[in-house]
This record gives sequence, structure tokens and C-alpha cells, in this order.
Amino acid sequence: MKKAIRNTTIADRILFLLLIVTSIAGLVYTREAFSLGSDVLVEVNGKPVYTLALDVNTEISIEGTDGRTVLEIKNNKVRMREADCSNQTCVKQGWISKGTIVCLPNNIVVIVGSRSKKDIDAITG
Amino acid sequence: MPLQDKYRIAILSAYALALHGFEALLPSPVPWLRFGISNIITLTALVMFGFRTAMMITLIRVVLGSIFSGTFLGPAFMLSLGGGLAGTIAMGAVLSISRNIFGPVGLSLIGAFFHNAAQLFFAYLLFIRRIEAVLFISPVILLIGTLTGFANGLVADILIKNLLKNEQDSIQNVARA
Repeated sequence: MKKAIRNTTIADRILFLLLIVTSIAGLVYTREAFSLGSDVLVEVNGKPVYTLALDVNTEISIEGTDGRTVLEIKNNKVRMREADCSNQTCVKQGWISKGTIVCLPNNIVVIVGSRSKKDIDAITG
Repeated sequence: MPLQDKYRIAILSAYALALHGFEALLPSPVPWLRFGISNIITLTALVMFGFRTAMMITLIRVVLGSIFSGTFLGPAFMLSLGGGLAGTIAMGAVLSISRNIFGPVGLSLIGAFFHNAAQLFFAYLLFIRRIEAVLFISPVILLIGTLTGFANGLVADILIKNLLKNEQDSIQNVARA
């Protein structure tokens, strides 16, 4: 293998470096330019109720099974601002930008996930 | 086509198909990631026996490979065919311009690049139709293609060196006898 690497021509090496640099630069650029953003998915009792964009500041109240909670989205972060429950675990969790917030007494789950589609169109042979 | 060429094409196509089938069994983190190891055979055939042989091997591999995996004439087949043809044509064109600038590694990188570019183009035409999605995924595919192309090129280089050495040895043996 070492011999084969030594056997490469100068053009081979230049091409290799060029492709690596281009692809990494492209990787950085597309992540910046076409950031697909994240969605905030709110589920109550296992059923999706709201899908909200993480980059739009909002405040909504969610009717849970045992009371209501207030969800706040601000500066690409989410938090549960108020909750009608005794333990207040979800409120204490504070701001998150990814992951989940769970409010167990009200059966509310808030999931922050990538908006990109995960489905596969086809697998080539 | 001389008889010897037919034998070569048959046996090399069989190797390419076997590698193609083996590759499908390898676990992969994402389903669309493939190493393209059958390109080792295409590249070796191209360098040693010329463009026509390499082209025949690519066509046989794509058609038979898709029949074996049950995707013949489906959309995945179109992507596979487009990518295979583009990669082989690009490598053949570069090799016909000069045999000295690029070694097998460089040719493999060029082949991988054009294979991926063609697949992205056909994927855009056939399914995606969203240019930002294609632009978003292309650097990832370019990077993976460069790494796998580099590895395949090294293997092809070793294979070609050994095959040429064997050929020279057998010629010397014949001359000595």
C-alpha cells in the first residue's frame, strides 16, 4: 500500500487535495447557506399536535391530558415556560436547542429535530 | 472483436459483478453510501485493455447487477447506468489525452467524481427536483467519493502492477523456452 501511495503522480496528489479541499469547503458553505433549520414537534398523548419552526419566535399554550403548559420559542431555543403540574421538571429543564422536553403528568413531549427528510427515494445498484 | 477480448471481457465482468454483489452485502451507515469497489476492475481493464473493454464491462455489470438485485429498468437502474457510463467515459477520455499525467489513483478519483456528478444530475432529474437539496448533499458525496476513489485507485494500481509483472514474467518464460 505504501508503495502504491509513492507511485502516485504529482497530478494525482494535486487532484486528491483539490477534491478534498473543495468538498470540505462546500460542506462548510452549504451548512451555513442552506441550513434547513430544525422543527419543534409537540406531541400530546403520543399524537403530534404542533410542528413549529425553531427559528420563529413564538409562544403557544398546549392542552395536555392533565392541564396546560406554555411553550416558548426564542432565539432558536425552546423552553417550557409554565406548566400546571406539581413537579415542574419540564420548566426546570430550561432552554434547549436540541433533544426533548417531557412533561409526564400532562403527557406532553416536545422534540427538537432536524427538518431534513430522512426518507430514502431509492438505492442504486 | 477478437476472441481473446471476449474472454477477457467475460472474466473481468464476472469479477466486477462478484465485487458488486459483495459490496451490497457490506454494512453501511447510510444506504446510499457505496464504495464502488467494482470500479477497480473497470479501471484495471481500462488501463490494460483499453476503453472498449472497460465500457463493455461497465455495461454488463450494471445490467446484470441490476437484474440480480431486482432493480432492472427502475429508477435506481437509471442512476446506476448514468453514473457507471459517466465514470468510465471520463476515465477513458482522460487516459486517451495522456497516459502520463494521471496514474490509476488520479483516474479513479476522476471516475468517482464523474460517477457521483452524473448520479446527482439524474437524481435531480428523476426524483428530487429541488436544487438546494442537491447542493446540500453534493459536498458530502464529493468527499466520500474522493476517499473511496482514492482507496480504489490504490488497489487498482497494485493490481495493474502485479498483472503487468506476471505478463512480463510469462513472456520471459516463453522466450527462454
